[in-house]
Amino acid sequence: MSDLLAVEAIGVSKTFGSVRAVNDITVRVAAGEVYGVLGPNGAGKTTFLRMLFGLIQPDSGTIRVLGKTWAADGVGVLDGVGGFIESPKFYPYLTGRQNLEGLALLDGGHRPGLLEELLDLVEMSDRADEKVGGYSYGMRQRLGVAASLLREPRLLVLDEPANGLDPAGIRDMRALVKRLANSGLTVLLSSHDMDEVEEICDNVTIMSRGTVAFHGSIAKLRTMAPDPGHLLATTDDNRVLVLAGHHPGLRVVRDPDAALVVTGAKPDVSAYVAALVRADIDLLAFNQTQTPLEALFFMLTDDTTHQTLARPAELTKAFR
Amino acid sequence: MSAATTTAAAPVDATRAPRQRPGALAPLRWEVRKLRAQWRGKAVLVGALVLPVIVVVVLHGQSRPPKDTLFGRFATVNGFALALLVLGFAAQWVLPLLTAVVAGDIFASEDQHGTWKTVLTRSTSRGRLFWAKTLTAAGFAVVVLVVLAASTIASSVLIVGHQPLIGLSGQTIPATEALRLVALAWATMLPPMLGFTCLAILLSVWSRNPAVGIAAPVVIGMVMQLVGALGGVEALRPFLLTTPFEAWHGLLAAPHFTGPLTDGLLTSAVWCLMCLGAAYVLLRRRDITGG
Repeated sequence: MSDLLAVEAIGVSKTFGSVRAVNDITVRVAAGEVYGVLGPNGAGKTTFLRMLFGLIQPDSGTIRVLGKTWAADGVGVLDGVGGFIESPKFYPYLTGRQNLEGLALLDGGHRPGLLEELLDLVEMSDRADEKVGGYSYGMRQRLGVAASLLREPRLLVLDEPANGLDPAGIRDMRALVKRLANSGLTVLLSSHDMDEVEEICDNVTIMSRGTVAFHGSIAKLRTMAPDPGHLLATTDDNRVLVLAGHHPGLRVVRDPDAALVVTGAKPDVSAYVAALVRADIDLLAFNQTQTPLEALFFMLTDDTTHQTLARPAELTKAFR
Repeated sequence: MSAATTTAAAPVDATRAPRQRPGALAPLRWEVRKLRAQWRGKAVLVGALVLPVIVVVVLHGQSRPPKDTLFGRFATVNGFALALLVLGFAAQWVLPLLTAVVAGDIFASEDQHGTWKTVLTRSTSRGRLFWAKTLTAAGFAVVVLVVLAASTIASSVLIVGHQPLIGLSGQTIPATEALRLVALAWATMLPPMLGFTCLAILLSVWSRNPAVGIAAPVVIGMVMQLVGALGGVEALRPFLLTTPFEAWHGLLAAPHFTGPLTDGLLTSAVWCLMCLGAAYVLLRRRDITGG
């Protein structure tokens, strides 16, 4: 990694009408890093990335990309930057190849053979001469990756690249992003999927309601992760709740879906389940609700639709 | 993507030098390439080539000429008169429509397809894209006017004949001179047509809706004609973009008078500057949030 920051956003804010989409956020991405911007829908991730690309003007703050700013360098900021925002869009009346050729024209051309290499990379060679209007969502997503790499970027910005893909598509897209990251590129990956970021990224910024809720390494995030929650369905929930009183290390609460959620350290949960069996209570279901990092993500982002654990306010506060 | 391909090396050199910036004409080439790939522009050009021939054949076959219109009295017996009759009709709404089909769509279609974010994340600035699109739309207006004029004049002269033309002052204009004046009359359509091109561009940028960009200039043109025809608004007429469409009348009078042509050129230029200026500012300041 060099000393130059690939992205340095300081005190950036953006308001749309009465909605504060991004509120005084600071993000620093070192060159060569694989960096995640994580947050639920509406957290401000895409607005931040649009500002980085100059699609949206920030109300305040400074964004420096590979050492350049929009104010001083204009569109030159994007030299060495490739990527896409949300789902990549193309001209439906042109073929995939014509779209890429046209975009290369706007880039000042491309080196000979690169277009074919990229079509091969994203497995679009055999469909490249078909009109984009007939492409599936996944094919457009792959063409978007090819269009981004056509710029031979040093910084690759991908906004939820696996969004909307089927499971096989998600697996392949993640593999491709990992491979690109291993090639020495700086990758800025936006996602609302903790698994995706955990699998690919070194460092992460978690955004919630336009602000930074956490900033640091994935390793640091793991140390903060709470005990996992388990969804429990039984034939006698009332007795299960009474028995929970004998296990002080556990927290057992009713879920809105009429099941119970058990939270605690693994040995305590095991002992509790054994006690239920000994008490002749039939277990109808017993599933982990979230991975520890997912649980932490939901706590940090205040996502009440997923949150099954009490929010340790002091923990969150410490990392804001 | 299969497992086999995902193990291949990514063709990216993270340490390479910054790429060469695109030339000034690159976005223009891209816009022309896109326009040529769309059926709409081709359909307009084919229509501009074929429809005048049909109109000429139908009018030539009429037993009673449309005497109450300019040059209508001689339209069935004189090819030059028929070409001018068609010109008068085209100026009412056809010319604004023909140019708006491309100009009204050229910016708004980026919103329709969600492609602003695709092109604005490359190495070409908004300003360059704006001028590339504007030049493409203006170029199309010129081409479609040339095709329409050539098709109308050629079919009129070939089908109806090229007898000397009776001018607006009753003078006889020899065939060669009549051909020159008719071509010139068609050429005077260009400034107001470019004015409508710029108006369509403004509406395309402002509305972000191709339907508005295409239809609104035609409707606005009709309203202007209506206003221009009303009594008591003489002071307003020189500022209407439809007034220059009538400036050619002086060419067919004896002696010629060109004052309306000069005024029309000025009016069209002001409309062009105002519309393009507003459209440019709107596009430069806009937050691209959709797509």
